[in-house]
Amino acid sequence: MKGRVVLLLIIVSFGFSCRNSKSKPSEFVFPQSDSVPVSEAEKLSPEAIADISKNISSPVEIANLLQTLQVPFSQNYIAESIDPNKQGTSFDKALKLGILGADLGYLNMYEKTGSSLDVLTSIRKIAEDIKVGQFFDFESIKRLSKNKSNLDSLLFISIDSYNKIDTYLRSNDRGQLSALMIVGVWLEGQYLATQVVSQYPNKMLSDRIGEQKIILNDLLLLISPYCKRDPEFISLCKDMQDIKDKYRDVRITYTQGDPVSVEKDGGLTIKQTETSVVNMSKEQLKSVIDITKNIRDKLILNN
Amino acid sequence: MKKTIITLTFLFTIAFLSFGQVTDPLISSCAINAGPDAKYLKDFRIQLGKAAVQNELRYKANMSLWKNTKYRFTMCNAENSKGQLILSIKDDANKQILSSFDKKTGKIFSYVDFECQKSGIYQISYDFINGQQGSGVGVVSMIK
Repeated sequence: MKGRVVLLLIIVSFGFSCRNSKSKPSEFVFPQSDSVPVSEAEKLSPEAIADISKNISSPVEIANLLQTLQVPFSQNYIAESIDPNKQGTSFDKALKLGILGADLGYLNMYEKTGSSLDVLTSIRKIAEDIKVGQFFDFESIKRLSKNKSNLDSLLFISIDSYNKIDTYLRSNDRGQLSALMIVGVWLEGQYLATQVVSQYPNKMLSDRIGEQKIILNDLLLLISPYCKRDPEFISLCKDMQDIKDKYRDVRITYTQGDPVSVEKDGGLTIKQTETSVVNMSKEQLKSVIDITKNIRDKLILNN
Repeated sequence: MKKTIITLTFLFTIAFLSFGQVTDPLISSCAINAGPDAKYLKDFRIQLGKAAVQNELRYKANMSLWKNTKYRFTMCNAENSKGQLILSIKDDANKQILSSFDKKTGKIFSYVDFECQKSGIYQISYDFINGQQGSGVGVVSMIK
């Protein structure tokens, strides 16, 4: 009898220890609800919103990946149809400012200075229309664009200008415009990645597209407070929810491992051995490519 | 010497071109000092008083980091900073991935390269060593 009790205790304690050791899920899943409740989003503090806006990956990272994969530049990916003089509402302007910002990052990374000046002109007009032109250092960017040796400075000033606009809008009760700009940047980066992968199929790139599942919920959180604001926002929120739905069955799993550190030349390098693995079928990828193109094209043609 | 000249030239260029733009010179100098192959992504401006209790690093932010990308985290201190800026990164399971401060040797690294293999949202924490008062900048760049 005593032996059975000890055995039972061992089994029970083993069960508990196993559960406790599982400190995180081995698969990324969306939060339980299908959509982000407005009340939850409204509770977000300004700091949390700032945090989310910093979370969203930079289009420069996507462009960098394309360069690593030796994907040639294509002018076709740029939203050239955006006419800065035909943007009627603040909604249109802020969203296009984001889209053009992503295009500027892509052009800068590929050192396409001639085209970037055209995009810059559009950005300038739109930024001035929503009274944030003072934060965009057009003259510096224009001059640096003409000198290819200044890529570092160019990237820094371009990104810094957008960060200043974002901070200014959020601290001046125009958070909805900041959210639109961030959605625009993300959507254009996603469009760029999905268009390239359909032309040059590549596992690393399709994985990066699949991994966007990780930040989609944050993007929705960012725009949720404004989802009932007007018909434009209602439509955008539905579009973003549709994209999220396409990701529902994309699986991201993790393998465990401890980081390895190497000290070299006075610096420290950490190599992560833990990995994320994306499981996305061709059909799932195609549906993400299609919906991204449909939504992005609808938004840029809606001048 | 050569590096100093390049840095000064860059700072002068930025100052000249920016005409009264309010870019913090510490951020621009830190961004350019990240290295010739480093492409700027983000910066964090950290200004902290002396900590009452030394527990966790006090300045916290979240940032998405992506698989197959090599990041460089550069820390720069303002001239009047009493403490040296240090960095720690944790993953979404609260597991420490890296620290720029080696507790065993007391060594502080001014930059740390991180070869990311797991895409996700990471918690990036900064503080000044021993909870001292300080002012500094953390710059995140991509490197090849």
